[in-house]
Amino acid sequence: MYRKMLRIIVALMVTIMSSVFINLSAEENATFTIALTGKYPPFNFYSNKGKLVGFDVDTAKKISKHLNRKLVIVPTEWDSIVAGLLFKKYDAIIGSMAITPERAKKVNFSIPYYISGAQLFIHKRNKEKIKKITDLYEKRVGVGLGETYEHYLRKNHPSIKIVTYKSTVDIFMDMHNNRLDGFLTDRLVGLYQIKKGHMPFIPAGQLLYEEKMAIPVTINNTELLTNINKALKRMKEDGTFTKLHKKWFGSASVSDPKAGRDMRTEVIIKKLAQGFAITLFVAFISILFGFILSVPSGIILNGKKTFLYHILRSSNDIIRGIPLLIQLFFVYFGAPQIGITLAPIQAAIITLTINSSAYMSEVIRSGFMAVDHGQNLAGKALGLTKLQVFRHVIWPQSFRVSLPPLVNSVVALMKDTALIAMISVGEVIRETQSIISVTYNPIKYYFIVGAMFFIFTFPLMKMANKLEKNIKERGFTHA
Amino acid sequence: MLKIENLTYTYPNGTTALENINTEIQKTHIFAIMGSSGSGKTTMLNCIGKFLKPDTGSILINGKNIYNIEERVLREKIGIVFQQLYLFPHLTVLENIILAPMKVLKQDREKAKKEAVKTLEKLGINELKNSYPSQISGGQAQRVAIARALILKPSYLLLDEPTSALDVNTTGEFGKWLVNLKEETTFVIVTHDVPFASEIATSGVLMANGKIECAGNIKDILKTLNIKT
Repeated sequence: MYRKMLRIIVALMVTIMSSVFINLSAEENATFTIALTGKYPPFNFYSNKGKLVGFDVDTAKKISKHLNRKLVIVPTEWDSIVAGLLFKKYDAIIGSMAITPERAKKVNFSIPYYISGAQLFIHKRNKEKIKKITDLYEKRVGVGLGETYEHYLRKNHPSIKIVTYKSTVDIFMDMHNNRLDGFLTDRLVGLYQIKKGHMPFIPAGQLLYEEKMAIPVTINNTELLTNINKALKRMKEDGTFTKLHKKWFGSASVSDPKAGRDMRTEVIIKKLAQGFAITLFVAFISILFGFILSVPSGIILNGKKTFLYHILRSSNDIIRGIPLLIQLFFVYFGAPQIGITLAPIQAAIITLTINSSAYMSEVIRSGFMAVDHGQNLAGKALGLTKLQVFRHVIWPQSFRVSLPPLVNSVVALMKDTALIAMISVGEVIRETQSIISVTYNPIKYYFIVGAMFFIFTFPLMKMANKLEKNIKERGFTHA
Repeated sequence: MLKIENLTYTYPNGTTALENINTEIQKTHIFAIMGSSGSGKTTMLNCIGKFLKPDTGSILINGKNIYNIEERVLREKIGIVFQQLYLFPHLTVLENIILAPMKVLKQDREKAKKEAVKTLEKLGINELKNSYPSQISGGQAQRVAIARALILKPSYLLLDEPTSALDVNTTGEFGKWLVNLKEETTFVIVTHDVPFASEIATSGVLMANGKIECAGNIKDILKTLNIKT
């Protein structure tokens, strides 16, 4: 019965996996693949219908039309967006990236497609106290992680205490909570978001510096760069940009705070459900394959110190000693170096499988250790073969001992899936952040997602407790 | 007949555990290997059971060296019950007993069950068949372990210190069970409990410092012992 079920599950998984892996490696030609965060209104964000919209998105659409290539958008975390470009995960970034000398060393920028600048924002009630940036020396100022503002502050105003945040919404929260005395962001973005979010913040002083936003491509991709520049020039000449400016920064969009503030409930539900489905899918497959790998590893780790033992021993130690995030980057960005191109979800599944297998094999190993060696002798004395002793005597006992800690690894891995957003997998945390960037309600949506996780992990934890109790009652472990 | 010839065994640390042992164990006897702790009796049992490989010498069953007998066949000829019993804690009493018949003798489950129940009845513990090892007493576990070994109908059944976990009353009762079962197999009992051995065994050996001090009829051995003490 169990074996049959297991066989069906494995067959199913193999089918799903192969379809995932084949589909994602196919379509390549005649597309224009670009990256943006999807969390940067009004430049790129999710509309109330759940579609990616904004100034950047429209610009990308127009460019792809000029290039006569199909537009593919890969929403990617800002922290890893340049790395993704360097490793050719996409052709370009159209996500409001400012030209800086550091970035220009690694990528080739197009001509600018809009110009904005760094603006200091403060709380309304402080408008008499803080007039300019120098008034904030020794005070705390928030900036987005990986944005140019942090670098600017460090260089020009080193006595300001810089606090970095994942998103503007988080900055707003801490402005409210009085953890920040001000924040630095793009003037256009800041004004837009303050209005949309009904925030009591105002700009203080003049633009600190001007920023030219452009489209980076990889250094060698001159042909694409030339074509993008041609397209941008034409768009400037034919009034496309004037139209887009009006559409996104004209009085209509900024003065109507309702527009784009809410996301329709069904869109939110759909996004959360999709994100959670991906989370569960990745977690389930990784756990299943991780477990399948962990059993032979556990056996080897419990056995004689062969060559294979030493390999596994050290790789397990390395895997368990390095943050999962680093491993994800290593697989995602490193695999192309040896000629393997992995889609984000493939890289996520491979990394999590290897990672969970390392943890689970240690659990399995200690499970074997908990079984008295005499059980082996007793099986042998009854004439059972080595395999039969393993299958009918050792494994059932060690597995029962291993189950509670195994379930705990499963719970930990489910939560770790949140990290795969960093390599552009649209799992539930990432979806939630994109919802929050439009709705400005982090507590509500983080609570909902927390509850979604809890609904899945709580029964698992209960099960682990029950199993543990059962095992103790049966006296499985030997003193 | 089980014959032991020139058996010598040295521990990895160099201590000699058995030195030039020669003896014969006739069928349908209860044979006792007696001696104080460290005299080498359990080592001898482990050699006979092929759990330890002797340095020199041979163990013959009906003239055939146990190292030339196929493992599966050997296990049907020689059974062993360890001092710690090693019942399988994840299986019920009945499942403990039918595992080997099903997997080794390839019997179907129903046949194996029938046989197992018969054996359990003989040992008076049939009512325990659905219990788990953690739910039964030491004396009961002892009998389950014997039933598990007996079910394979071995010609010889080796028991290592079977009375070590039993109190005086259960020891007496246990001895009676063994005597009743001696038609089924030849028991080779390792024990330091001389009164128990003299009660049930017909012949045996007395060991000291890895050597046989005296061998033969149990009464003769007792006499030697009495002279000594």
